[in-house]
Amino acid sequence: RVVPVRWSRYNPSYLEPEVKKESYQKPLEELTEEEREQMELKAVRPIKAAPPSLSSSVFSDPMISKFTNMMMKSGNKVLARSIMSQTLEAIKRKQLEKYHKAPENEKETIECSPYVIFHQALKNCQPIIGLSNITKGGKTYQVPVPLTDNRKRFLAMKWLITECRENKHRRTMMPEKLSQELLLAFNNEGPVIKKKHVLHKMAEANRAYAHFRWW
Amino acid sequence: TLRLIYTTTAVQRKNVGASGPEKYTEAFIKKQIEEFNLGKRHLANMMGEDPETFTQEDIDRAIAYLFPSGLFDKQARPMMKHPTEVFPEQRKIQWGEDGRPFHFLFYTGKQAYYSLMHETYEKLLNVQKHQDQLMAEDLPLQKEKRNLAGSRWLTKIELEEMLLEKLSDDDYLRFIQLLKKLAALPCADIEEKYIQKFSREIPVQLQKVVIEPLQYDERGVAFSTGEGKRKTARATTVVYDNGTGKITVNGIDILHYFPVLQDREQLLFPFQFLGRIGKHDMVCTVSGGGRSAQAGAIRLASAKALRSFVTEKEVEFMRQAGLLTDDPRVKERKKPGQEGPRRKFTWKKR
Repeated sequence: RVVPVRWSRYNPSYLEPEVKKESYQKPLEELTEEEREQMELKAVRPIKAAPPSLSSSVFSDPMISKFTNMMMKSGNKVLARSIMSQTLEAIKRKQLEKYHKAPENEKETIECSPYVIFHQALKNCQPIIGLSNITKGGKTYQVPVPLTDNRKRFLAMKWLITECRENKHRRTMMPEKLSQELLLAFNNEGPVIKKKHVLHKMAEANRAYAHFRWW
Repeated sequence: TLRLIYTTTAVQRKNVGASGPEKYTEAFIKKQIEEFNLGKRHLANMMGEDPETFTQEDIDRAIAYLFPSGLFDKQARPMMKHPTEVFPEQRKIQWGEDGRPFHFLFYTGKQAYYSLMHETYEKLLNVQKHQDQLMAEDLPLQKEKRNLAGSRWLTKIELEEMLLEKLSDDDYLRFIQLLKKLAALPCADIEEKYIQKFSREIPVQLQKVVIEPLQYDERGVAFSTGEGKRKTARATTVVYDNGTGKITVNGIDILHYFPVLQDREQLLFPFQFLGRIGKHDMVCTVSGGGRSAQAGAIRLASAKALRSFVTEKEVEFMRQAGLLTDDPRVKERKKPGQEGPRRKFTWKKR
């Protein structure tokens, strides 16, 4: 059993806030049993304060804010956020260029919304299975292990950021390189997708050690 | 998890169960109670109040008046409390004159805990037997769902006080799991009384905060005030009705005061959530804290002010969206022997 070592300023009975407006406008009949229980619980328990990066406007996206936080260095959220917005703008510009150059029949297949591209690219980069080091009998083996959703998302974002920071020409700006990587990942090409495939192949190769896992 | 800041004096000692000869006998406690009551009446006479209706609060005030003390530690100041609060409850001696313990589980070390687990399991088996009987007779099982949302289980500290014995986290969790299993069975209504001993009502009074009514200024425009804080920033806002959506902070427009988009988004969050963006005007004053803390403080203050304009259901929705809670997160202090709150000094091998 894992006991959390870090403590939080909130009492454990505090629940996470629900910011989206739509979830409060649903009529009572549409809810399932679980949702009804959740509602009852929420009515009695205290709720944590909403963090500053979360808001109910259409422009705030939890995935994008997580990605911005991971890109941030030394707490410079302003810079990270400006890079993110420049990236999304760059993606939109590139896609619009393609859209206007494409012939009529292909115009519908080109995706213009940067948010859709971002989400799809992240999904394409997420590995399905990961490797973990398990020491048995003095030797350390790489054992294939299933990953949780959070871990998958974290790995995808981490790979994208490290890829953009290291493998670029000295003069290219981060938004440019990031938009390039995201578009490649959206089409299932690019170095990040290759890294994901390499990981999958390693896991497949080490299938024999899968029984070392005890959880 | 919460860091343990407060425990009762009884449980702070290492092995409560194996406490040796009693520190104070029952007769001693009785004498102390008599002396306390007598002293209470004398104090009431001294202060010129009625001895019959002299409450504990009056005693505290009288003592603070008669013996003023500037000591920082509240426990070190002179106090006069009922002996049951001063002398912690201690267990009677667990063994007789010949040295033989009374309870059959004494040598397990945690006799109260194990006997409690045995009792609860017995109740569980009882309920299962009753259930089997009903199933054999093909009678319908009663299934009125216990309202789980309105009650909570005892905390570990409360359980320790109840049993007068130290528990470990694992023990406590096992006991709660067993209780939950018992409560989840359909025929658990038989043992309802036993389960109620270990559950406490959550006071729904948490949500009953008094919402101030709207005030009207000279022009007849409705307005309401709110106060909010975040880290070290303190903000007060006045939200006017029939407005154009203009927001002023310390006499400066928000576009100039908050150049960052995130802060402005936070200011507009309560209005956007309620769908009242162009309908209200806001004038706020804020001091202290940094850029983001001031934005958070104004957000809280405006949400509190908007409560007077809006129905109760929407207030409940705002609370569930996290707009009305004080953010308790503050900067963690630096500890001695470390460079920062968590960062340790660089480890050098030599």
